[in-house]
Formats: sequence, structure tokens, C-alpha cells
Amino acid sequence: MAALPKRIVKETERLMAEPHVVPGISAVPHEDNLRYFDVKIHGPSQSPYEAGIFKLELFLPDDYPMTPPKIRFLTKIYHPNIDKLGRICLDVLKSNWSPALQIRTILLSIQALLGAPNPDDPLANDVAQRWKEDEPAAIQTAREWTRQYAKA
Amino acid sequence: MDSLDIDQRPAKKRRFFVEDSPEPERTLSSTASPLNDALSTANTTPQETPLEPSSSQTDLSIHNGTNRKGSDASTGFDMEMFESFVGDKVALATFNKLREVSGDNMERAINMYLDGSWANATVPQAPDSSSPSITGTFKSRFPEQVYQQHRTEERRSSSTTDAGRTLESMPDYRYVGAFGVGAWATRSGAGLIKMGEAIKIERTKIKAPTKLGRGGKAIQTNAARMRGDVIVRFTNSRGEEVGRLPKETANWVSALMDQKVCRFDGVCFLAPIRIRINDTIELQLRCSLLRRAFEAGGFQKPEDNRTTGFFEEKETSDEKNLRLRQVAMVKLFDEVNLHPTTVNDTTARHKRQGILQAAEIAEQYDKEKENKKPKPTQDSKSTQAGNSTPPEAEEEEEGKELEQDQLDSLYKKAQSFDFDTPTREPADTFVMDLRKYQKQALHWMVSKEKDEKSDNKEVSMHPLWEEYAWPAKDMDDKDVPSVANQKSFYVNPYSGELSLDFPAQEQHCLGGILADEMGLGKTIEMLSLMHSHRSDISMQASEAGPSSVANLPRLPKNSSSVEPAPSTTLVVAPMSLLAQWESESVKASKPGTLKAMVYYGSEKVANLQNLCCEANAASAPNLIITSYGVVLSEFNQVAARGGDRGSHGGLFSLDFFRVILDEAHFIKNRQSKTAKACYEINAQHRWVLTGTPIVNRLEDLFSLVRFLRVEPWSNFSFWKTFITVPFESKDFLRALDVVQTVLEPLVMRRTKDMKTPDGEALVPLPPRTIEIEELELSKHEREVYDYIFTRAKRTFNATMEAGTLLKSYTTIFAQILRLRQSCCHPVLTRNKAIAAEEEEAAAASDVANGLADDMDLQELIERFTSDSEAGEQDITNKFGAHVLQEIQSQANNECPICAEEPMIEPAVTGCWHSACKKCLSDYIEHQKEKHALPLCFNCREPINQRDIFEVIHHDNEDDDDLYNASQPGQASTPPRITLRRIGSSSSAKIAALISHLKALRLTNPGTKSVVFSQFTSFLDLISPALTQANIPFLRFDGAMTQKARAAVLLDFAASPTKKNGHGMVLLLSLRAGGVGLNLTAAKRVFMMDPWWSFAVEAQAIDRVHRMGQESAVKVVRFVIAGSIEGRMLRIQERKKFIASSLGMMSEEEKKMQRIEDIKELLT
Repeated sequence: MAALPKRIVKETERLMAEPHVVPGISAVPHEDNLRYFDVKIHGPSQSPYEAGIFKLELFLPDDYPMTPPKIRFLTKIYHPNIDKLGRICLDVLKSNWSPALQIRTILLSIQALLGAPNPDDPLANDVAQRWKEDEPAAIQTAREWTRQYAKA
Repeated sequence: MDSLDIDQRPAKKRRFFVEDSPEPERTLSSTASPLNDALSTANTTPQETPLEPSSSQTDLSIHNGTNRKGSDASTGFDMEMFESFVGDKVALATFNKLREVSGDNMERAINMYLDGSWANATVPQAPDSSSPSITGTFKSRFPEQVYQQHRTEERRSSSTTDAGRTLESMPDYRYVGAFGVGAWATRSGAGLIKMGEAIKIERTKIKAPTKLGRGGKAIQTNAARMRGDVIVRFTNSRGEEVGRLPKETANWVSALMDQKVCRFDGVCFLAPIRIRINDTIELQLRCSLLRRAFEAGGFQKPEDNRTTGFFEEKETSDEKNLRLRQVAMVKLFDEVNLHPTTVNDTTARHKRQGILQAAEIAEQYDKEKENKKPKPTQDSKSTQAGNSTPPEAEEEEEGKELEQDQLDSLYKKAQSFDFDTPTREPADTFVMDLRKYQKQALHWMVSKEKDEKSDNKEVSMHPLWEEYAWPAKDMDDKDVPSVANQKSFYVNPYSGELSLDFPAQEQHCLGGILADEMGLGKTIEMLSLMHSHRSDISMQASEAGPSSVANLPRLPKNSSSVEPAPSTTLVVAPMSLLAQWESESVKASKPGTLKAMVYYGSEKVANLQNLCCEANAASAPNLIITSYGVVLSEFNQVAARGGDRGSHGGLFSLDFFRVILDEAHFIKNRQSKTAKACYEINAQHRWVLTGTPIVNRLEDLFSLVRFLRVEPWSNFSFWKTFITVPFESKDFLRALDVVQTVLEPLVMRRTKDMKTPDGEALVPLPPRTIEIEELELSKHEREVYDYIFTRAKRTFNATMEAGTLLKSYTTIFAQILRLRQSCCHPVLTRNKAIAAEEEEAAAASDVANGLADDMDLQELIERFTSDSEAGEQDITNKFGAHVLQEIQSQANNECPICAEEPMIEPAVTGCWHSACKKCLSDYIEHQKEKHALPLCFNCREPINQRDIFEVIHHDNEDDDDLYNASQPGQASTPPRITLRRIGSSSSAKIAALISHLKALRLTNPGTKSVVFSQFTSFLDLISPALTQANIPFLRFDGAMTQKARAAVLLDFAASPTKKNGHGMVLLLSLRAGGVGLNLTAAKRVFMMDPWWSFAVEAQAIDRVHRMGQESAVKVVRFVIAGSIEGRMLRIQERKKFIASSLGMMSEEEKKMQRIEDIKELLT
């Protein structure tokens, strides 16, 4: 494997050095593959995901930062924009990606997504449907899933 | 007609003439009026040969011929001369003896003027009619032996005090000879003049030209062409005017009389009793040189001028007089049949006839020039110039350019090098190995310096002068009174000067021109000379050694005189070569055997005189290296002190052992201050080194010869007579011959392609290949090129139609320059193109609009704050000043894409977001591959690809590019930042260069290369490309200090092969690096852009392909296909180039040439 680009090195260093600057987010690269990160995101407060810690996997492709990182929830989550395979529907991870974005900013976006589900642009259609029809029930389910799967 | 008959019976002779005279009279009368016309025109127009065509005149002249024969035998008018020469008493004795010996009809003359007692003796004699008679009454006071002795004495004692004495002892005038002339009468009547009557020759100025039109005929001849009258009249003994000398004679007689060189006395020996107008009267004229003609005050010798110093040598109006006089004297000596007894070998080669011819050509030439020029300008110019006549001055400046083939043949003759010339081993303090031809050069140089040929110490005559013996007898064979110690006189036929004193040859030229072609090692040859020929004082000093206490130098009192510097050789070289001279001198010498010193800038020693003078010989530097600039500035200082050399203590306060001018074509213009300064350097041995002794005109050579002080050629009028004038009057072969004789003893020239008799190359230089690589412009570049081309052509066509082509020549030329730049890199032209759109705008507003290459951020900011009009619409319309300011700080931040900090080659989008140039372009490429609209990485605005700019930090270095020169230095302001469009950040040429260099890394790792461009701003663009490609490079241009240049050259030569396999690349500006440098460390040359003349490029290439080069040299010339560059190559081939049309041809030729060239370039 080619040498790690300076950008990745720098991003990694910063992620490791300042875990407290961005509360509720952490990303740790695998020792055998520095492009592969174990990510943990705390569910935002005042959201159904509060108190949950969600695990994600993040992979930086070869042409990163030209292409966005590949990222996926490992923890089961009940969310209209996240499907059951953990794939995330987020514009900055697709068409709106910009090389000026970073791992940290992407993770923050995901955290924000947890706080503001958008059922109008769904990935998990059944969840979105329920969210629209009976939001309190949907939120309740999300809480339960969080308690059940995202225990600290 | 028999002379005997005349002698015996003078009465009959008279009758004979009476009978004879009607014949010409008849013919005359029949053709009277045309003849009159002819005569009067002849008087007004000096160039016409008078009377020759008319048949009656032919009769007359035949008649004259016979009469003239008689004249030698029968004239007696010189009696009168004797009287005035020696007084009555001597005359009596003379006449007595005369009567005895010759006894011709001169007695009659004596009878007429003096006592009748002389008439008795009539001893007839048949004298030699063609030469002055030999016998005389005066016995020579000096037998031949004494005379010889005396002559040698004279030679030895030719000091000025002597001159005074010899001049004093000379009588007021002294006889030199006599000649017959058929004059014509201007009056008619009987008894006007009798045979044997003494006549006076007068020079009265006619009042008005109309007076010439006798017989009521108005003169239609061109009055402007009149050079002033030359009419010489003669009067009878009563003082009445009788007639005039014929035109041909009067021409030169008048000059001699006007300039008070000669006096003429005459006697009539044949005249009709009844004289009619236009009758021929035979006269014999005696000519005597006046004493004052020998007085030095009359004419300043040009040589004196030169040695005394700071002056300008130009053709003056005096010069014109000199030329008249010169011609007159030659004609005089011709007429009186006086031949030089001694002529210098040099001048003997040139026939005296040549002088006449040349001088007459010169006269005619000047006349033509004068006719062409309107008089008023001449006057106004001459008043401001003070001492020069403008037509000549102009002609000298312009000179004619040599055609290439002429130059070739000139050199072919000059460089006939004999391969068998002896060699000489250099002194053992010289440690380099010399090739055979270099040893031959050493031998030649040492023998030139020691002047081994002239072992005999005999003083030889100055080459310009001729020695004449005063005639001992006059034309009647009578002795002429001689003057003690004056047996001969000396004439300089080239200047018309006269002297009684032996003109000694001044010091021989103990030096010469080493004109080996570039790369043959002129420097090494000179260094070997420095080691092998030292002055005696220097030898002693170096043996004694500087440590010896007894030899402690006593410094001279700060003398005001010029001190000899017997140990020191002065080298004057262009600044860029100073370091090279120094290092070569160290390399070539055993340690401690040659002390070299660079005399330049702040390293100058306070008092050079104390350092180098004789007393300090042991520790004086053996070699002082200085630049032309230093010579010039010290020259100015000395001149400002009124020529006080000594107390200045600099270069001019010393008389060096040797002076060497390197790249001596620096002084090719003899009018330039630098050249004049160099002439004034004093040295025993004078050398010039140049690969091109003649750059493009013969005058170039004159300046060198002048510096070398080679007599007689360092005399400009001499040079002009024999070289310039014949050459300019299309007598090229003759001029060539003369130049060859000048060059032959002075020049040693070998060329690289010379072959030894065994067919080996003189210098086995490795082969050199030049290939032209045609490149295609990218689409973007082609657009820019086409745009500029169309506009240039439009301008051209418009001005062509309007007929103002030459007026707007500079505009068009500037556009052509832009075209050439756009072939290199569109960025070079960008803002100039914008400025050019405002074609009406004056140059000043061009500057205001940012003629500069790059868009200057500082300037932009200023424009915003001052709310002035926008120079760059895209940028200035959209954003405020703070954005621009922000870019400066942004550029120092981390790249948002690759996280480099600061950014590598920062670039800016149209929305002013910065990233590394590469990151940004990669990202755009990436998006394009996905067929997506490129958006800004930051704000997601669509990116207009034209609006991507590279941010370039400038150190506040000076850019010597023509168009950037106007930018003021901004020492205190933040570093300048400029933006360049990223789309044009690379050009076809740069890409080709990089790929060549990369390929070179694979095939020949570590090969060093040299890259030439004439645009330093292009070098600016190449540098980042090299950086990006990770190719190490150095840079050498005109803006660098001497020290920096030296350091760069050293670095380049010493730089090791880089570990990544890339050899060092040296970026050179063609102008700064074209001359002299030694870049043999390189093996590849890349010429980025063609110059107007390939010679300039060839010179640059030869920096690499020269002595010391050990491998084959490959040269690649980049040329853009289908562009103006290709046409430039065609022009190069035709050997016509616009540069030449900017100042060397005639005005008409220039115009034609310019139009031709532009047409060629723009069609």
C-alpha cells in the first residue's frame, strides 16, 4: 500500500489529539489499516438516541479526499435515513461531498442527522412511513432500540 | 622645332612663335564661344576636366607639349629666384658660372632683368628635357659621404629642441622643383608679356561667381557644387594681370598657396607677341616650400593628440583641408619629378597613386553627401558639434555593414594559419597542459612582445612618412643654395604634413589580436603568456622573494606621474567573466606563482599605484582583473580631474606591463566612452582577445587597432583613406587587401573547424547536434496565440493601408513580441494583451493599466481603495478588497484538500477559495470525469475554469524583463503576490522541457542541462514547473550581482549528481548568459525560444560546446509549429534580421527591410 497521504495522517492525528473538543465523537484507525476507522458517536441529547453510543465503521478510499469516505452504522439504529444495513443517507456523503470536508465534519453531520431525522428523504422506507404516520410511536421505538442495542 | 636653334638665335625663335601663333588663334576664333563657355564652366565646376574635348584645345596641348620640352632648356627665370634666395653677390657668381656651363637662352632673360654683361657667353647645350638639369654653379657643400653621416645624425637627434633649431636654420622658403604649364590669357593686347619675363603667381579671390561669365554669358552651373574658387592668376613684371593657370594645375596650386605651403614664381618662356584672350602662354613655375609649412603649429599631428589623451577623433573641417593639401602635395611632387629617397616598407606597399585615388573618391563622396543634405541642417549641426562636419560624422557612425560573405572572405584571408609555426613550452610555473596550437600561440605572442624581429636598434622611420632630398640643382642645372644640416625633408603624404626632422617610428606594437574562435582557450593561452614572459624586474622580484627584509618596498611618494607596474598584467573583461578569469588563473598556476586580484566594486584597493609600482614589484599582484565598467568609471574620474592620472591612484595611474582586453568587441565602437577609456590605459604590451575582431563593419577593427596603437593604422584619417573610403565606394577588394595587410602581422586566429595537415581537428571537440523540435500549442494556448495574431495582423493591415506602418512600427513590434511570448507561455502576454486592446492608449497609460506580466495584487488592492477603474474585470467586479487581502493570508494556511501547510503553489478559485494548485486541479478533473459540473470544494459554487488563479509570491527581486522593469521595487511592503490563471500554468514548451528532462533522468542519470530563454519572466514560469517535477535547478540572469553569479556558476559546475537521478538544470537568460561563460559541465542545451539571429543562439550554445567539453552535446531548440517562431527561423536563414534594421542600414533600406520583415512575420 502506498504511503498514507499527509491529509489522512493529519486528520488522524487531530482526531486522536482532541477527542474532547468534539464531545461524543471518536474515531480510531485500525493499526493494520490506517484507512479503516472504528467510530463511535454518542446520540445527541434530547433525541431518541440520547445516551446511546453508536458504532460505525469508516473507510477512506484510495482517492480520498476526492471521493467521500465510506461509512456505515454497525450498531442497529431505528432512523428513517439509515437502513438496516447501517447505510446512511446524507448528501455530504454523496453528491454534496467536497474534499474540504473531513472525517470529523462528516461525523458531526451524522450526529446532527441523528438529532434531526428527515423522513422526507428516506432510506429505510418502513421507518420513514411510521415516522410520518405516528411520530411518537416511532420515537418510542427508536428509544427502545437505543436502549437495546446502543448500551454504553 | 629645334632647341639648339632657339638657343642660338633667340630672335628667330621669337619670330617663329609669331608665325606660329596665328594657327591656334584661327582655330580658337572659330570655336571661340564654346570654348569660352567651357572655360567658364570649368572655373565654376572644379570636377570637370577643362577644355579637353574641344579639338582646338587638343591642338593647343600638343603645341604645349613641344613648348614644354623647350622650356627646360630655355628658361632663365630662376635667376630672379637666385636673387631672392641668396642676394646679389652670390647671384653674380652664379651667373658667371652659368654662362660658362649652360649658356642657354637664359642669358636673354638675364639681359632683360639684369646687367647685359651676362649675355656674352653663348655655349649651347642640349639639356635633358624630361628631368631637371644636373649641372650648376653651386658646388655642393657636402660631399656625399658627409651627407650620409649627417643624415644619420639627424635621425638620432629628432627631439623637439632640435626641431626648433633646424627650423630656424631654414630659409623662409626653399626650392623644391619646377615644372612647365600652359596657362591661358585672360586679356588681349600686344606686349603684355615677353618671353623670359618673370611673372608673379597670385591668388586673388574672385568677388562673385557671375564675374566668371565672361562675354555676357550667364553661368548655369550649379553654384552649390562650387567648392570655392581655385583660380590662380599670373601677372607680368609690371603687376598687370595676364592670365590664369589652367584648371588642372590651379586646383592643387591654389590649395598649396592658400595653405601657405608653397610659393610659386614663374617665368614666361613662350607667348605670342600679340596676345588674344584664351591664347596659350607657356610658363615655367618654380616651386619653393615655405618655412612656415614646416612649423609644427600649423597642423596638429593626430598622433600627438592621441597620446596626450582625452579627446575625440572625428573628421573635422581641418581634415578636409588636410586632404586637399595631401592631394596637392602628391601632385606637386609628381609634377616636379621629385621622388622620395626613403619610404617605409609598410607604406611602400600602397601605391601613392592610391592616395590620390582614395582622396579624390573621398572628396567626391563628401560632395555627394553635401549635395544630398540641405545646407541649413549642416550649419546648425556643425555649430552644436563644434568641430565636425555632420555628413562625415554621420557616415562614420553608420559605416557600412559587411555582408556575411564579405566577412567570410575577410577571415579566410586573415586566418591563414601555418601549422608548422614553432611552438614554445610555457614556463614551469604554469601547470596546465597546452595543446600544440596553444603552444604555437604562446610562441607567437612571446615573439610579438619581445619584438624579436627588430633586433637592430636602429631607429626606423615612421611608416607614414617619406624622406625627400632637397634638390641640389635647379631645373637649369644650377646649384641651389643648400642649408647646413638640411639635406632632406620629410613628407607625410597621407596627411600632407611636412617636417624637417626625422620622424622616428614610435614604439612598435608589442602585442596583437588573439582572435581564436570561441572555445579554443584564449584565456589559457594568455595565462601561459603571463607565466612565460615576465618583465626583468618582475623576475628579479620573484627570485628575491617578498620576505626579504632588504627588499622591503619603498612606496613612491604619492606621485602625480604615471608609475610603471612592471609585474602586473591588467585584464579587462565583462563583469560576468571576472570570476572565471580569477579561478582559471589559480587553476593554471603553481600555488604562489601568480598573484591574482579582482579589482571590482567594493573589493577595489584604495591605491593601486602604491600596490603595483616598481618598488613594490615583489608583492605586487601579477594579475589584476577588472571590468569595462570600472575602466569607464575611473576614466570619467580621471577626466573630471582634468586628466590627472597619477594622483587618482587607480588603473590610469599605472603603466602596466601588459593589458589584455577580453571580449574586446566591447570596444568596437570607437566613439563609445568605454572604447575611449580603454585607449587610455597605459601598458607596454597590449592585447585584445575576441572571437570576432570584426563584428559587422570594418570600423570595428579600427577600434582594436587603435587600442593596440598600431602605426600607421591607428590614425583614423589614414584608416579612412585606405579602408573606409574604398570599401564604401564599392572597391571592396582593395579595402579587403588592405585590411588583410593590417591583420596579418597582428592577428592570430584559429577556428574550431580547422584541420591539421593530418586531417585532425584542431580541437577535438565532441560532436554537437542541434535539433529543432516542433511543438503543438494546446487548444487554450492556440486560442491566445490566434487572438493576438489576429489583432497584430489587423493592426498591421490597418497601418499598411493608412501608410503609417513605420510610425506604428513599435506598436507592431510590441505585438510581435507578444506573439513570440505567447508561443512560450500565454501568461507572458496576458495583461499586455489587455493593454493592447486600447490601441490608442499611450505608453504611459499602458503602464498604469498594468502592462506588467502578472496581475499585481498590491496594485489591485490599491485600485479598490482608490475606487479607480478596474483593470481586470472578472476579479475586480465581483469581490472587494478584503477578499484580495485575505488571499494573502489564506495562501499561508493549510490546504483544505491535502492538508499541506502552507499550501504548495496555492491557487484560488473564482470564488476566492484557496487550495494547492494540484489539489484544486485534481478535484476539478475528478468532477469532470464523473461528468459533473465542477463546483467549489468550499462553497459549492460552480467553478469557471478560466477563473482559477495561481497565487505567486514574489520576493522583491528585480525582474529584468523588458516589460517588468517599470514596476517599482517595494522593499517595505509585504511580499508581492500575483495571480496567474491556472489553466495556463503550463505551456507546450514547458511540458516538452519537463518531459525531456525526465527522459534524460532515465537514459542518462545525472546529466546537467542548460536552459536558455530570452524572457526572464518565462524562466520564472519554468522554475515552478521544475520544482513540481522535482528537478533541481539554478538560475543565472542579468539581475543578479556579480557574487551571486559566480556562486551560481560554481554551484552548477560542482553540483553532484542528485540521488534521484536528475542532473542540475541551469536556467539562463540569453542576454546575460550568451557571452563568455564556461558551462562545459552541461551536456544538454535547451533553447526555449528563437532569437532573431541564430548567431546569438550559437554563441549561447558555445558556452556549453567549447574547450573542456568532453561529451557529445545535444541541443534542442523548441519551436511552436505553425507560429511566428517558424517564420523567425526562415528570417534567420535569410540572414536578415530586424535587429539589424534598427540602426545599421540606410534610412531607405531600413524602411524596406522593416516592412519586409513584418510582412514575412504576419502573413
